[in-house]
Amino acid sequence: MEYSIEVNNVSKVFSNYEALKNLDFKVATGEIFGFLGPSGAGKTTTIKMLTNQLRPTDGEALVLGRSMARNWKDDFQQRMGVLTDNSALYERLSVYENLKLYCDLYDLSYSRIEEALEMVNLEDTGKKAVGKLSKGMTQRAMLARAFLHAPELLFLDEPTSALDPTNAAHIYKSLRELNKKGTTIFLTTHNMHEAETLCDRVAFLDHGKIQLLDAPQKLRRRFADNTMTIELTTGKKITLDNVPENAKKMYAYMADEQVASVHTNEPTLGDIFVKLTGRELV
Amino acid sequence: MTLALRRMYAIFQKDMKDVSKNMYISTTALTPIILAFFYGRMDNIQLDMYYLIINFTFSIVAVFVQAAIIAEEKEKNTLRGLMLSPASAGEILIGKSLLTLAFTGITLALSIFLVGYEIPNAPVIIAALFLSGLFYTALGTLLGLVTKTVMEASVALLPVMFVFGLTPLIDAIINQYPALSFLEYMPNMQLIELAAQMEAGGGFAEAWQPLLIITAWFAAALAAAWIVYTKRMTDS
Ligand SMILES: Nc1ncnc2c1ncn2[C@@H]1O[C@H](COP(=O)(O)OP(=O)(O)O)[C@@H](O)[C@H]1O
Ligand SMILES: [Mg+2]
Repeated sequence: MEYSIEVNNVSKVFSNYEALKNLDFKVATGEIFGFLGPSGAGKTTTIKMLTNQLRPTDGEALVLGRSMARNWKDDFQQRMGVLTDNSALYERLSVYENLKLYCDLYDLSYSRIEEALEMVNLEDTGKKAVGKLSKGMTQRAMLARAFLHAPELLFLDEPTSALDPTNAAHIYKSLRELNKKGTTIFLTTHNMHEAETLCDRVAFLDHGKIQLLDAPQKLRRRFADNTMTIELTTGKKITLDNVPENAKKMYAYMADEQVASVHTNEPTLGDIFVKLTGRELV
Repeated sequence: MTLALRRMYAIFQKDMKDVSKNMYISTTALTPIILAFFYGRMDNIQLDMYYLIINFTFSIVAVFVQAAIIAEEKEKNTLRGLMLSPASAGEILIGKSLLTLAFTGITLALSIFLVGYEIPNAPVIIAALFLSGLFYTALGTLLGLVTKTVMEASVALLPVMFVFGLTPLIDAIINQYPALSFLEYMPNMQLIELAAQMEAGGGFAEAWQPLLIITAWFAAALAAAWIVYTKRMTDS
């Protein structure tokens, strides 16, 4: 297995506050990896450390096979992309002018601008000054900037926090396309739906510690209580343990044409998070 | 090399568009020209007066414009995008100095023309002005990197203007307190000293030492800016 990110026992202490405690995980090349946690969990701190904006207090991290050297080389920054809360666009310039600057910095053809704008559903907004955009549009313009050079490894810090569901869905589609073409994606979110629909694996982060790490489906199965709920045509809901002894009851409801719906009770990632930490994902 | 040029030119173009839409910075940068225009209408202007305007131009254009456009990149969280791009520290710092250098050159030429300063020994004086421009731009870069907002940079400009702008005052201080005579090595003092020498018919023999001292100031300011910049890369 090839890994794009390897984090070995990394801790980060801010003056007296321990923001990250012995983080230890790997992100496989080609994966969409989600870092899920409430605000203050340490998500942004993790991204900043993995992109050389912060130095770990302890431990070591390898990104694209390279240790956090003092200065990163050109081709390294060409290979990765970052979107965090401190990577803004120039407000007085248009979206197009901003992207043009980055085409020059990354040595890309300007034809990439249209493609990136299409990926974030902003085709008609290129000429507008960034300062005049809504919050959601600004976030999409910033995503376009991160998509421009289609990096090998992309870090996204809460990429859809300001987006409406339609635009979020458009971004999910683009992220999947990027991923198919070879971009490994590390994203943070406190949106469990986003983590479930997008991520191959998720890590639950709380108070600077990884509480759980696995594929969303596996987590849901692991935390399932193995019951099913039957809603009858009368509106009544019945919960049955999913065991052979209950097959007859089920048969009876079905034979009487009483069943309106049946579903197994798998928890959402949000439910699992609450169960594990006693905290909501907000 | 061509890629480095593409990057530096892109940053220059970006700054030009940005500053042209920024009234605060662009109008401030015009004040030396207005000052030069009014002083130019007086009779009997002394060398000190010419250099008061020249130093004012350096403070307001080279130092202030440079400090403000860099502080604004920090204030608006755009500097990080440049740092995380493949552009090197050198490309970014040079790219971010081009607009200020061009602006300083144009304003200086206009101010000198308006105030009516006839330059003796042009190669030497122009070299000295160019080196001074580099020094003040590096100083502006440093100021922009250590402040967090355009407002902070504007406040930090005041002591700079006081120290580097009021050359006659420093002269008076040195006369009063001989122990402070090392102040003669300040770049603004060296510039006016050089100008006086050239006015009196001096040549390169008198010029090389002040030129060297101004270059040393430039190197020191550049080194300081470089160190602060590379520190800023991992500390957000
Ligand atoms: N520069 C800093 N100095 C001190 N504390 C910080 C700093 N950056 C983050 N923190 C603290 O570290 C914790 C994690 O922050 P952060 O990584 O931003 O969380 P998240 O992105 O998950 O919301 C928070 O308690 C925050 O207050
Ligand atoms: Mg955060």
